Amino acid sequence: MGAFLIILLLPLACTVGGAAVCRSCPEPLRNGSVVAQYCASRPGTEREGRCCWERGTHPERLLGLDLSNCSLQNLPPGLAEAFSVAVLDLTENPLMTLPNGSFLGFTLLQLLAVPLPLGCPGGNNAWEKVTTSGSTQLCQGQRNSCNSSGEPAWPCPENAACAPDGPGLVQCLCNSPFHGYKCLREGAFPGLLFCGVLGATTLSLAFLLWGTQRRKAKAP
Amino acid sequence: MALPGSLRRQPAGRGLVSHCTHHHIVVFLLTFFSYSLLHASRKTFSNVKVSISRQWTPSCLNTTAPELRPYELWSSNHLFPNAEEATLFLGTLDTVFLFSYAVGLFVSGIVGDRLNLRWVLSFGMCSSALVVFFFGTLTEWLHFYNKWFYCCLWVVNGLLQSTGWPCVVAVMGNWFGKAGRGFVFGLWSACASVGNILGAFLASCVLKYGYEYAFLVTASVQFAGGVIVFFGLLTSPKEVGLPELGADEDGSVEEDANRPLMSNDDADDDDRNYSIQATDTDSQPKAIGFFQACCLPGVVLYSLAYACLKLVNYSFFFWLPFYLSNNFGWKEAEADQLSIWYDVGGIIGGTIQGLISDVLQKRAPVLAISLLFAVGSLFGYSRSPNSKPINAVIMAITGFFIGGPSNMISSAISADLGRQDLVKGSSEALATVTGIVDGTGSIGAAVGQYLVSLIQENLGWMWVFYFFILMTSSTILFISPLIVREMRLLLHERRLRVLAE
Repeated sequence: MGAFLIILLLPLACTVGGAAVCRSCPEPLRNGSVVAQYCASRPGTEREGRCCWERGTHPERLLGLDLSNCSLQNLPPGLAEAFSVAVLDLTENPLMTLPNGSFLGFTLLQLLAVPLPLGCPGGNNAWEKVTTSGSTQLCQGQRNSCNSSGEPAWPCPENAACAPDGPGLVQCLCNSPFHGYKCLREGAFPGLLFCGVLGATTLSLAFLLWGTQRRKAKAP
Repeated sequence: MALPGSLRRQPAGRGLVSHCTHHHIVVFLLTFFSYSLLHASRKTFSNVKVSISRQWTPSCLNTTAPELRPYELWSSNHLFPNAEEATLFLGTLDTVFLFSYAVGLFVSGIVGDRLNLRWVLSFGMCSSALVVFFFGTLTEWLHFYNKWFYCCLWVVNGLLQSTGWPCVVAVMGNWFGKAGRGFVFGLWSACASVGNILGAFLASCVLKYGYEYAFLVTASVQFAGGVIVFFGLLTSPKEVGLPELGADEDGSVEEDANRPLMSNDDADDDDRNYSIQATDTDSQPKAIGFFQACCLPGVVLYSLAYACLKLVNYSFFFWLPFYLSNNFGWKEAEADQLSIWYDVGGIIGGTIQGLISDVLQKRAPVLAISLLFAVGSLFGYSRSPNSKPINAVIMAITGFFIGGPSNMISSAISADLGRQDLVKGSSEALATVTGIVDGTGSIGAAVGQYLVSLIQENLGWMWVFYFFILMTSSTILFISPLIVREMRLLLHERRLRVLAE
């Protein structure tokens, strides 16, 4: 049920909540930042505060988010709403750590810029290419942690398969016909058929038996 | 209740055949499937236990592995921290159910005799179907998981389910006379086993859609059964103007010249004078009181005997698959399938022993002999080798000698006791007596579940079998006064017959 709610609310979060994270830093998007470059390289994009939106799609997708030079000591709580970004800039912030799972759900993230003392989230193995320029560490090209060559395949429970869930993060999602809590359910119950067959059988049996048995019955 | 002789039923087997109208067949089938459906919903519960305990617990992984994501999908349900505690709770629900079922049996027999049996039966079926629907389906759809709510629902379900057995036995007792009762009831008491198979089948068909649909399907079918019973069941022959059975047609036996003085089967004692309401010739018979019913000869002894026997019988139902997979290391699905042979033995045993008791016109000696063999077969079964065919054969034999008498006491003998001579004029004792016998039995069964697990944990399986042997011997002990009485009657009759010729 909770999963359903989240799926229902996702589009809402994109347009409303995404806007909030765009305004979490005072200045607008800096020209020359990785986000601005990315945004400029793609047609049909639009800037709003620190964000870069892809217009024309429905729901509108948040493409880039620039939180650089924002005096962030911790990641903002609204960051999770920007899960659809391809580019994220966190440089020039006094960030101490990036807690494990900060980028949960950031499966589309292709370019992440973090201040140098911090490594790329999920470790260097989670990225195709890790480069350093000045005080910035650039993490490029997310690797799929499910089929990483070195480690054994991620153990998902029955009826579920591993799926990427952000840099160095994986999740277990139900395989196609399975659904529900712990993927215990398979397919949809043929409710209409069942109701129809049971109802028809009950009605006909009740009429038949009433006609042959109880019609002439005297009150006890 | 004196009816013209021409309308009286014929005795023995001939009567059974010549008077078997389509009403008899419909009543047999309706009561059979009513109780089957009630039993099916119980079986569903035990078959979906694994799914339920998965639903009620978060995913358990070893502590080193990271948590499974997304959280909502794998670990959002924390009703129980792990599967062991969920299993324990499900076991508690079983015990709670058995106790409330036992209490309910005492009450619903009394209610059934006072109200219309058809109303009570169809009310019981429909309302218990609703409770099962709330328990298994609605709570899952609303994601409302609460231990106390589950307990309360299962107590109510036990009470409502208990309306079934006394009512169906009473209806069957109204339609089928003592003459063929042993055989008919022996065949009929396969309903519990058929219900088990039906429940297992329904549950396994829809379990893949989710456990809530297993409950939904059995509850809906049970509800439909209640509706059909309401429109189709004739509780007694007099509802369609057929002759009513006398208090076990003693009179009709007297009319048969070939069978002189076969009368007064159960009531040849000196206690004729406490015949209840013997002078009450109202067309509307009054129902018997609970304590009056207890005082009927044989009721207390058979109840105690049944408590011991049902303990053994139900322990086999509940523990056999576990014993087989635990003791022999057989797979659980195989053990489940193998344990069907116990049921098969019980059905055959009940029918054949019922037939023999019909021919002898005495039930207690048949029971006693069967139970003596049961002690032997229990001993043999406890030493069964690790071989599936041999085990299955001994299991079927054990079922034959334990399940058979158990079926006979709970159905045919209950009906005999409820329609005996002493209740003449107050024929509405059937459901009450059945309720008392089966209620005492269910208390025995409930206590037994606890004792078996206790003995098994502390002393091992061999002592569980010694405990079964002790309980079977107690059953023989409790029915021995009845055997003595029936044997005396048998000899008495034979002497009279010799004198008549």
